[in-house]
Amino acid sequence: MKTKKTKVSDISRGRDEPLLEISSQDWIPLPCTTDQSVPIRPLTDEQRKQLEHSLDDVSALGIPKPKNKAEEEKLVQGFLNGLRRLLSQDDNWTFWEPLVYSLESCVRCQTCSDSCPIYISSGKQEIYRPTYRGEVLQRIINKYIKKGGRISSKLYGEEIDLNWPTVARLAELAYRCTLCRRCAQACPMGVDNALISREIRKLFSQELGIAPQELHGSGTILQLRKGSTTGMTPVALRDNIEFLEEDIAEIAGRRIEIPLDKEGADFLLLHNAGEFLSWPENTEAFAIIFDALGISWTLSSDLGGYDVGNYGVWYDDVQLARIAVRHAEIAKHLKVGKILIGECGHAHKALLVLADRLLTGELNIPRESAIPLLEDAVCNGRIKLDPSRNDFPVTLHDPCNMVRLTGIVEPQRRILRKICPQFREMEPHGVDNYCCGGGSGFAIMSSRNFPDWKMNIAGRMKFKQILETFQDVGDPDTRKYVCAPCSNCKGQIRDLLSYYGAREKYNVFYGGLTELIANAMVDLERPFIEWEWH
Amino acid sequence: MGGTVLVLFYGSILFCIVASAVRIAKYLTAPLHLRWELYRGSSVYELRDWWQKSPRRLGERLAGVILDVLLLREFYRRNRSFWYFLFLFHLGLYLLFVWHLWLFITAVTIPFEAAWDGGLVFGHIGTALSFIGGSGIVIKRAVDRELNVYYGRIHYVKWVLILLILAGGFLAVVFHFDSDVPQLVRYVNTQVTFQNLELKLHPALGPASHVFFVSFWLLYLPFSHVLRLFFRYYQYLRWDGVPNTSGSTIEEKVTENLDRPVSWSAPHIKPGKAWREVIRDTEDL
Repeated sequence: MKTKKTKVSDISRGRDEPLLEISSQDWIPLPCTTDQSVPIRPLTDEQRKQLEHSLDDVSALGIPKPKNKAEEEKLVQGFLNGLRRLLSQDDNWTFWEPLVYSLESCVRCQTCSDSCPIYISSGKQEIYRPTYRGEVLQRIINKYIKKGGRISSKLYGEEIDLNWPTVARLAELAYRCTLCRRCAQACPMGVDNALISREIRKLFSQELGIAPQELHGSGTILQLRKGSTTGMTPVALRDNIEFLEEDIAEIAGRRIEIPLDKEGADFLLLHNAGEFLSWPENTEAFAIIFDALGISWTLSSDLGGYDVGNYGVWYDDVQLARIAVRHAEIAKHLKVGKILIGECGHAHKALLVLADRLLTGELNIPRESAIPLLEDAVCNGRIKLDPSRNDFPVTLHDPCNMVRLTGIVEPQRRILRKICPQFREMEPHGVDNYCCGGGSGFAIMSSRNFPDWKMNIAGRMKFKQILETFQDVGDPDTRKYVCAPCSNCKGQIRDLLSYYGAREKYNVFYGGLTELIANAMVDLERPFIEWEWH
Repeated sequence: MGGTVLVLFYGSILFCIVASAVRIAKYLTAPLHLRWELYRGSSVYELRDWWQKSPRRLGERLAGVILDVLLLREFYRRNRSFWYFLFLFHLGLYLLFVWHLWLFITAVTIPFEAAWDGGLVFGHIGTALSFIGGSGIVIKRAVDRELNVYYGRIHYVKWVLILLILAGGFLAVVFHFDSDVPQLVRYVNTQVTFQNLELKLHPALGPASHVFFVSFWLLYLPFSHVLRLFFRYYQYLRWDGVPNTSGSTIEEKVTENLDRPVSWSAPHIKPGKAWREVIRDTEDL
């Protein structure tokens, strides 16, 4: 009753009874003894009492239960108002067309289902089917928004009652999808169920002010107020850069300056702030390579200028636009030639693709990925490299936002083929890749029991892929490297490898692309990669 | 009865045209949305100074679209077992389209007696393929849980209607016109040139039932996937991969969008102001 037979209409049933009781017995097996199949931790009694959890007993959002019926009704009415706005060309000009197309064009062939790593990893639980949330939303629209809907919805079959349990479950359900858009890629009709997830998230954020704390309060709001989602201030950034320069001096045997706020530079390099705090070696590698290339570049210490992350991409158009504009204003202020985007997948999507329909006039500053520049440096012999320094098994994780969603597929591969003798692809890879399971903000969402869900279900397929890719070099003495040219993916892969003990058992490490290039540079006094766990 | 069919048929044609025009206008006047493309391979972003490169040529993209539509390539790649019936059904429809086109052109351009008997083969093969494909789809939909999981009851009515149209057309040609092409062409000529009002008001049962079912199909057509697919491909061909450059139409449209008022109610958004103001106002967050 609680697993695969869940019906669309079940979304409006009962109050606290979960639609799905997650069982580790249903999950796809992993190809090793690492398969802990540890059940997802239940919420505490206090959390169950206070928070909505009736979808699958997992809480990503931490939505407080309404205090009374009047509050419930107000929330349901707010949802309905938001839904009307989503369907209005004026209110939702940003995504009206692809949303309406996706809602109206599904032919229910379910071709997308097998492409969803969450649906498959969970053992094909109905509520995680890519079309489930779209089906729920469409039936609510048919019944409550369209004229004569109360009658016509009866012709269709299973009806949905719009009540608070429906709304609360739908909110959580929007955060059981990583927005990897593998389903959209698979859909013969071009229906984008991931976009439907995103638009539901947007409805809750922009109309009801409901969003995960990690994405909103500690995410975009913090970034716009303090300069970074990490909370790092401009002063802290300057200290950090001094530390990075000292570190580089030890590796390179000479001091290399990291330019900060240099007006008129050719490039403004925007890193994800996570690099400064968690993976400083990535920013160091960029500095070393750019120095070797003699490039005119700079970082920015302006508010937001040292964090290219834009969590708005995942849940809120207003926040997305605010951050994109902030990045463009900083570049304009510094009078740089171009914005160069570092190893951050969703920033590629935000600044290259989405912002192309947001920035006008002087703010429409040229923006490009750093990957083609690195490819040019490596493949055209602009820096001296010795591939034997990278003679260990390396595989490449394709960040969805960089590959399927932006179309940067080959340059990173050409680099790895050139500098890593033991490079091997994951299967499937490129635009058919699997998400790391940390997409759409999951990598940083760590409240309540959501991390357990994220490791066991959202990230399961990726971890399986990593193990399978290194199966021929299973020897624990052999160091293996998962190259993930994206800050969020790195965070998720770090957590996956730790959760399953893969570092200890299989000697699997992870890191960025730039680090591998720096590691192959013959001019450095000592190897760049230190195989230390961050 | 005949008069009813007549009114229904021409009424449905009128309705189909008007409803399609309204829907087309709604989509064509929709605001230019944020870019949200998917890539099946390398994009222009793999290049340095990508904005200086020309987007893929229209002809190249159009060829891809035509192959997608005619061969249902994505179904072939991703859902082969469903594709077999789907393709048979659509191949039949294409042949039926050719058959009807041939019939109308022949009816008004050459003497009836000179009409090629072999033309009927298009009609019969098209009908047979569509009928086999359509029946296969209905059966597969009914027995395969993956295909019927969210498939509403109402959709089966649509398939029954389609099968009735196919069967009705076949029976009319075989029994009413005795599979005689010149006789059929003469009938079509009379109909499309409005020469015999009596025949229009009191059509024979065979052609009338075919036309009757087709009328219902025409009422449904503006709301079908056909029109939606048209928009999908129109948007793809018109806007995908086209960069926003200074002074371009896209920049003009983006500027218009930013002048729209924001209406959402969450605390971090101040409604009533224009987008360009709201996204620069981050003081009180």
